[in-house]
Amino acid sequence: MALALENVSKHFGSLVAIRNLSLSFDVGSIYSIIGPNGAGKSTVVNMIAGSYSVTSGTIRLGATALNRLPKHRIAQLGVSRTYQNLRLFDGMTVLENLEVCFFPQSWLTFLTGAKRLSKAERLDICHACLAEFHLSDVADVLAGDLPYGRQKILELARAFVTQAPIVLLDEPAAGLNHTETKDMAAMIAGLKREDRAIILVEHDMDMVMSISDRIDVLNYGELLCSGTPDLVRTNERVQEAYLGTTEELDDIRKLAQSRRAQGGLRANAGIVRH
Amino acid sequence: MGNSVIVRRLGLLAVLALCVVLLALVPYLPSYYVRVADSILIYIILAVGLNLVVGYAGLLDLGFIAFYAVGAYAYALLASGQFDIHLPFIVVLFIGAAAGAIAGVLLGFPVLKLRGDYLAIVTLSFGEIIRIAINNADELTNGPQGIAGLDRASLFGLPLTSPVHFYWLLLVLTVIVCAGVYYMERSILGKAWRALREDQDVVRGLGINTTTLKLLAFALSAAIGGAGGVIFGAFQRFVSPESFTFQESLLVVLIIIIGGVGNIVGVIAGAVVLVILPEILHFAAQYRLLIYGVVLVTVIVLRPGGLVSPRFNLGFIIRKVRTLWLSPSKT
Amino acid sequence: MFDYFLQQLIFALAIGAIYGLIALGYTMVYGVMRLINFAHGEFFMLGPYIYTFLFSGLLGLGGLAPVLDSAIAIVASFVIVGLLGVAIERFAYRPLRAYGRLAPMLSALGMSIVLQSAVRVTVGPQPVHFPAIVESTPIDALGGMVTTVQLGILAAAVLLMVGLALFVNGTRLGIWIRAASESWTTSSLLGIRVNRAVSLVFFIGPGLGAMAGIMYASYYGIMQPTMGSVIGLKAFTAAILGGIGSIPGAMLGGFLLGAIEVFGTAFLPILSFGYIGTEYRDVFAFAVLILVLLFKPAGLLGETVSEETTVAKKDY
Ligand SMILES: Nc1ncnc2c1ncn2[C@@H]1O[C@H](COP(=O)(O)OP(=O)(O)OP(=O)(O)O)[C@@H](O)[C@H]1O
Ligand SMILES: [Mg+2]
Repeated sequence: MALALENVSKHFGSLVAIRNLSLSFDVGSIYSIIGPNGAGKSTVVNMIAGSYSVTSGTIRLGATALNRLPKHRIAQLGVSRTYQNLRLFDGMTVLENLEVCFFPQSWLTFLTGAKRLSKAERLDICHACLAEFHLSDVADVLAGDLPYGRQKILELARAFVTQAPIVLLDEPAAGLNHTETKDMAAMIAGLKREDRAIILVEHDMDMVMSISDRIDVLNYGELLCSGTPDLVRTNERVQEAYLGTTEELDDIRKLAQSRRAQGGLRANAGIVRH
Repeated sequence: MGNSVIVRRLGLLAVLALCVVLLALVPYLPSYYVRVADSILIYIILAVGLNLVVGYAGLLDLGFIAFYAVGAYAYALLASGQFDIHLPFIVVLFIGAAAGAIAGVLLGFPVLKLRGDYLAIVTLSFGEIIRIAINNADELTNGPQGIAGLDRASLFGLPLTSPVHFYWLLLVLTVIVCAGVYYMERSILGKAWRALREDQDVVRGLGINTTTLKLLAFALSAAIGGAGGVIFGAFQRFVSPESFTFQESLLVVLIIIIGGVGNIVGVIAGAVVLVILPEILHFAAQYRLLIYGVVLVTVIVLRPGGLVSPRFNLGFIIRKVRTLWLSPSKT
Repeated sequence: MFDYFLQQLIFALAIGAIYGLIALGYTMVYGVMRLINFAHGEFFMLGPYIYTFLFSGLLGLGGLAPVLDSAIAIVASFVIVGLLGVAIERFAYRPLRAYGRLAPMLSALGMSIVLQSAVRVTVGPQPVHFPAIVESTPIDALGGMVTTVQLGILAAAVLLMVGLALFVNGTRLGIWIRAASESWTTSSLLGIRVNRAVSLVFFIGPGLGAMAGIMYASYYGIMQPTMGSVIGLKAFTAAILGGIGSIPGAMLGGFLLGAIEVFGTAFLPILSFGYIGTEYRDVFAFAVLILVLLFKPAGLLGETVSEETTVAKKDY
């Protein structure tokens, strides 16, 4: 199954967040989308997942045009995602956070004859998934009570538990420390499968360079360059605009670091209520 | 060790027996107390129904009493001299529940895409519209005079005429409704509702049609409201728009909040407190409402999460009883 | 026909202005606290009672011209009801901030019961006469009949609304209020004393409500403890109609609701050949509300909340 963006644009009022973007993703690989802040990476993810409408152009999954479908239909067709800022169900247990993903998609299964998971099957799958993501020990802990790093992993697990063919990860390493980021990279690399496309938005260059099969560089909503990590690293335009001078590379490093710091702050932000 | 287990089991038995005995003794109290008990049970049923929407799905419905009115008027129209239709109670009970559910879906379809407080005010308006419409549809409902002389109900040949009869009926229904809702709460549907309460966009992102999910909550709770209304009609044998004011909707919401949102045990406690409180305050005559209000605000400010802690729920009690009984060594 | 229309128009404007003033209180409180202040209708009711009490007291003391007595009593009612609002927020709502939306709302409901029954206990439940502030003399305008009271209400309400608009848009305190409604967290990070903004809102809102109450009572010449319930509900409807949280929206919603109600009830029986009568007046207001929300879920001037905006807000 292939996901394709064809001449997609997204305007927010007068701001053009994405301009005539065409990209295609096939199962079996890990794709990374990188670019400076505000380049439009999250916008791409949100458009594919149906959170944002598309101003012009088409997004296709196989032969189906996604951008006319309601969001839950897109998810049912096999697009799952994580969010740039954690959006777990804090008041539910870790296990329940996964279980909800198996809510029957239609109440008419007895008519259509589609198979519906029994409770035992559902729990088996969820427990297997928890084991895979090293979360078994906290299965009955409220998601909101987990430390930030494990919440990030839980969100990752939630995106993978239904075996969706298209998985969108929006900055899975944001706010994680160095070791956690490395673990996260290894974990995502290990999730690569023949029947699955992983689309990763990330600021951590080490992670992106080490696990991606293809990197798409966005700048001001336009595709700057696209290719293997080596190609992108050596591409002149990218070097000029993005990785070019060591100075700027440092900037990016710093940015990634400040992002981590920010992520730490954000993790606590939930306490400030009003 | 062995001794303490026996003691604990006996203690448990004693508590259970006490509950049963207390419930069984109610019918021997003077009629006034039986009526209060009936009223408590009706409000428990209503609040448990509304709790599906408010507590589990997180949708604030301030017009719940409209569904109650639909049920009550279903009985008034289908089992009285009004149109000389005399259907049996049990049939009307189902019709009332179905009519409630249909009204719930009809209301739900257009308004469920509204967020939070807008939903509150629209449901509130809906409740008012229903009441005013009943008040003015003279040919059908006799308007403000209401409909009197509803049929004496009977169930499977047993008469349902005195408060004691209704006490037993309501007790059985309360148990059924609580058990049903408890089961639903633990099913995947209940989990989806709770997720919906926390983050609707993410729920949609998981491939769940949130509109269906909300409609389901609305319809189920409205069905319970409708059934409650039928019983109310059969019990009073008189209905008028007076009984279905906004204040009644609020009372049911208050019961849920005072008890503890989303918790059946809390709802029961809330119903007991809020039905008994005005009765106790009878002595205070004109100051009654004032005291009621002061108590209400004080309770909310002092215990904003409700009187009953969310951990002390039906599941907790059942687990406790089960472990104590089946494998007491674990406790 | 035309003079009938004109008469109805003035009536609609007067009642709409009153709705608008009350709606402002709902909308401002909602803006900063995301709270439906169910007690707000009671401030409306308290206005005329406190005014009457003060006015007759001052009159009894003598020494001042009755006009001055009246003016002092009006200003004092604004202040007293405003302070009451501040106190209620402080003791009944503020402790509940961390407990979601339901608890404060119910506390507000409880406060509504307390205020209403307190008045009932002190002065009795029956409607009482409200002393006229302006002598009601009919004026013949453009063939229609307009009373001085109607014109007075309209003028006073417009004055108050303009004053509020100037205050909110032009002064430092007003900007605090707007910032706090925009984003609580950001405002507090910027050093805005959000609690002061809240207190201010709880002073102005109930004060305006009290003014609306005085206008309403002078229009009908009576007041009673339950007068705030239905009007409060309708004014809230007006706030939603205009888009809750939006100050111009509340004013627009008030006038619009007034017009809808007055013209709806006046012309509905004619249009429906007498089948739908004036008793559907209240239904009418609510039905319009539902219709508007179906097509414009955020109200007329409200900020639309779609997933696009929430996603972006959660991201940053
Ligand atoms: N809902 C929205 N409304 C208005 N503007 C938006 C919205 N979402 C995104 N934008 C704008 O679109 C541009 C691209 O934003 P986007 O979130 O896609 O950036 P990004 O590449 O993900 O950046 P970051 O690395 O900071 O996450 C930005 O200028 C942003 O302000
Ligand atoms: Mg982003």
